[in-house]
Amino acid sequence: MVPGSRAAMAPPNGNDRDITGPRRRSLLAGVAALGALGAAGCSRVATASTEGGGDLLDRLKAAGVVRLGIAGEIPFGYIDKNGELTGEAPELAKAIFKRLGVDRVQPVPTEFGSLIPGLNSQQFDVVAAGMYVTPERCEQVIFADPDYQMPDAFVVRKGNPMGLHDYKDAFAKKAKIATGTGYAQIEHAMEAGYRRGDILIVPDQVAGLNAVEAGRVDYFTATAVTSRLVVRTSSKAEATKAFTPVLDGKPQLAGGAFAFRRTETKLRDAFNAELHKLKKSDEVFRILRPFGFTRTEMTEMTAKELCGG
Amino acid sequence: MTWDWGAVADFMPHFWDGLLLTLRILALGSLISFALGLVWALLMRTPTRWVRWPVGVVTEFIRNTPLLVQLFFLFYVLPEWGVTASALTTGVFAIGLHYSTYTMQVYRAGIEAVPAGQWEAATALNLPVARTWRVVILPQAIRRVVPALGNYVIAMLKDTPILMTITVMEMLGEARLFAQENFQFTEPLTVIGVAFILIAYPASLLVRALERRLVS
Repeated sequence: MVPGSRAAMAPPNGNDRDITGPRRRSLLAGVAALGALGAAGCSRVATASTEGGGDLLDRLKAAGVVRLGIAGEIPFGYIDKNGELTGEAPELAKAIFKRLGVDRVQPVPTEFGSLIPGLNSQQFDVVAAGMYVTPERCEQVIFADPDYQMPDAFVVRKGNPMGLHDYKDAFAKKAKIATGTGYAQIEHAMEAGYRRGDILIVPDQVAGLNAVEAGRVDYFTATAVTSRLVVRTSSKAEATKAFTPVLDGKPQLAGGAFAFRRTETKLRDAFNAELHKLKKSDEVFRILRPFGFTRTEMTEMTAKELCGG
Repeated sequence: MTWDWGAVADFMPHFWDGLLLTLRILALGSLISFALGLVWALLMRTPTRWVRWPVGVVTEFIRNTPLLVQLFFLFYVLPEWGVTASALTTGVFAIGLHYSTYTMQVYRAGIEAVPAGQWEAATALNLPVARTWRVVILPQAIRRVVPALGNYVIAMLKDTPILMTITVMEMLGEARLFAQENFQFTEPLTVIGVAFILIAYPASLLVRALERRLVS
């Protein structure tokens, strides 16, 4: 890479001056051609039929496979030691899509912060990462009703030397904070007074644990179950007791749900109907329990109330 | 495709933060790579192979492994052994170290290009070795290689976004964070792309001009 860029940057000697003119012009032409290609590429992105709530479900049935966007976050959606897709959301998705007539699921792993952009740019069909329903996200995608509710918890150094319990208290103690890219916890921390520039954004929870262990930050914040699970193998860090974050001045448990493109309301509604059936028969709890979820994390909240307005 | 000037305006404060940090990384990284590269080059010319051999192995190793892997190693693995530095320090050191193994070859070429007659004249005048290097060889060698070093500065500029992966909020990091918060990718990424051209292209013209003046 480097020697190549060097050659492109400056010719090794000056005796090629006579070809500089034409070369520069052809370079410009090349750039223009690339630009035209790029524009054509953009307008060619297959946008689903927008009327009548989309036909994605029919297309998925015909293909027999649905692509799930996951963020490699235990226990929400991840690839296990055997290379199998598992996690709270993918397992629930398998059960629900089977009932909808789609037999196979295919994981598309990405960063948490890239899930919504990836969904909207057709990289996958559904976000199956236990994503929290927030008003900002509701402007970009549509959510099924939450399949679980969740407080936050911190990852701190062993023994919690600074005695951190929630955002307000951590902010008052000037504790250095980290959280994941695109996490809802960014908002929770800013509610307590943190400025955006004070928050270290790490790629995922393992990098967050690493930041705590290495002493780069005082705590890493995530969902209670993420924090609980990521410290399991760590001898230097522990998770604090879960607490309910404050949003717009009042305590608000977060609800995690599946996200769909805004045009695919038909698929979302069909998914929701099956989800409610599974909730009634307590199948949701049976599917989520192996991933460390408890009865108190089952929820009756709706996407509508979490989206607000 | 939609273009939203409002998003550009919202992004600009973050952009300036990112730009400043990028330039800081570039300045410090260049200094490290210039200094360390010269050290490597001089060590490679010591008469004993007990110095040349280890220096050769280490620099070949660094040059032939990816910068990204080195960065992850320094940032995620070294703390396990108790060596901790901030993300920015780690990033600057990694990029400076990596590029020093390239600049060392540039210096080597410059030193070898000094005519043998210069060495012979210095010997004939009975100049001590240290003085020969300082006032005869290096001034001539470095003059020849300034444009080549400049090219590596430009290459380094284009590698600074890699530091985003270890949480350093340089231009690309700021753009990605902005994009993920506002779900607008086109505007911030275009802005930093344009910024890279606006810095790199005049810089490469400058390097070309230097080459004309210094080398011929």
